[in-house]
Amino acid sequence: MLSRRHLLAAIVSTFALVSSPASAFADPAAGDFITKLADTAMTTVAAKGLSDDERAKRFRTLFIDNFDLPEIGKLVLARHWSAPTTTDEQRTEFVRLFEEIQVLTWARRFKDYSGEKLEILAIEPGTTGDLQVESRIKREKLDPIMVGWRVRKAGAIYRVLDIKVEGASMAQTHRAEYSSVIQANGGTVDGLLAAMRKKITQLQAESKTN
Amino acid sequence: MPTFIPRAALSRIAVSLVSLALVAGCAAPPPADDKEAVAEFEQLNDPLEPMNRAIFEFNQVVDKALLKPVAQGYRHVVPAFGRDRVRDFLNNLRSPIILANDLLQGQPDRAMQTAMRFAFNTGFGAAGLFDVAAPGGLPFHDEDFGQTFAVWGIGEGPYLVLPILGPSNPRDTVGLAAEWLVDPLNLHLDHVGQDWAIWTRAGMYGVDKRERYLDKLDEIERGSLDYYASLRSMYRQIRATEVKNGTVDLKTTPSREKR
Repeated sequence: MLSRRHLLAAIVSTFALVSSPASAFADPAAGDFITKLADTAMTTVAAKGLSDDERAKRFRTLFIDNFDLPEIGKLVLARHWSAPTTTDEQRTEFVRLFEEIQVLTWARRFKDYSGEKLEILAIEPGTTGDLQVESRIKREKLDPIMVGWRVRKAGAIYRVLDIKVEGASMAQTHRAEYSSVIQANGGTVDGLLAAMRKKITQLQAESKTN
Repeated sequence: MPTFIPRAALSRIAVSLVSLALVAGCAAPPPADDKEAVAEFEQLNDPLEPMNRAIFEFNQVVDKALLKPVAQGYRHVVPAFGRDRVRDFLNNLRSPIILANDLLQGQPDRAMQTAMRFAFNTGFGAAGLFDVAAPGGLPFHDEDFGQTFAVWGIGEGPYLVLPILGPSNPRDTVGLAAEWLVDPLNLHLDHVGQDWAIWTRAGMYGVDKRERYLDKLDEIERGSLDYYASLRSMYRQIRATEVKNGTVDLKTTPSREKR
């Protein structure tokens, strides 16, 4: 006869089996998603002879379609996202401004890219049920860069949540940065939003003069 | 103590650091009842933030006035081929230090790799000017005492910005000092009274490093709302990755921080 403890152990182990994350290469589709994303970026955003506006537009489309922006916003704003004093308007505004800053900083970088090739090294289950796709980007005449992609699957759709470049997570870096800005501005999300607006104006002015 | 250690300068820097810490004070930790704020404070690991920010501002001034222009000039004047020779040469000179740390970390395979690289590059690579070992299947890897201490289980301690040298922590600072003291080439040069070569080497190492980071740092500064906070976070993450020799740790992705 099963004791209660045995029964519990049996239930737990059954659950562990059912919910155990997929093995290392169980989801090659996540790798295909990243490969395709990199290819599309190279052929559309990094295409030669584009105007800056056109390049930014193409980057934005790719970014919105393939990155889970609201989730990233939640990751980056962390405890300030769920704070009772933070309103829905502030959250929406934060995600909008975050998107804007990313477009303004990333689109420009693609101008100099040519001949970069992405190679998938591993696809592993991460801690939160997401997938971690490890890749190496080979560059002409430059050392290769290690880039890790945190990917979430919803239905049949994959979306990127975070990028790690040489071990530095963008989400973690932004989180540390933004919490510093919030702290320096009286602990309010409004202070951060104001600083972000200022940064955007500055970045836009720069890209006009260049 | 070898003569290339400017004892007076060292103690002067130490004294001014301490007085700066006293003037700038420590960052006030958040009230203990705000658990999330406390967790964040510990996560940032920067109790000396006011002092660090002051040194950071100083470094920024020195960088803009001197280090960055020198690195830009170096890039402008010396073609990529020449800069690669300088880098290969400097990397080869580091081999004894890398080898020692490979061994101290219990990595015989990597130690063997470093030793063979040193032999090949010194012998067949024109005294290390050409990295002939890398194309031959022995790629370069770096190591330092800070990483070795970490492998031994010594924690990083609070974040620390060093004058001129930049982002660090007590563990890596001790590692840096150890490296300066035990480097066999430096000891030899000091012994034969050629201290100028030690300083030249250190200077070239700095210029090479700054040149390599020219674009990256510009990009980070440009996109940051708080450059100091961005660099602090990146330094700590990248050091943690280096300690693991680039092995990716899936558990450090945000949303479920351990601390």
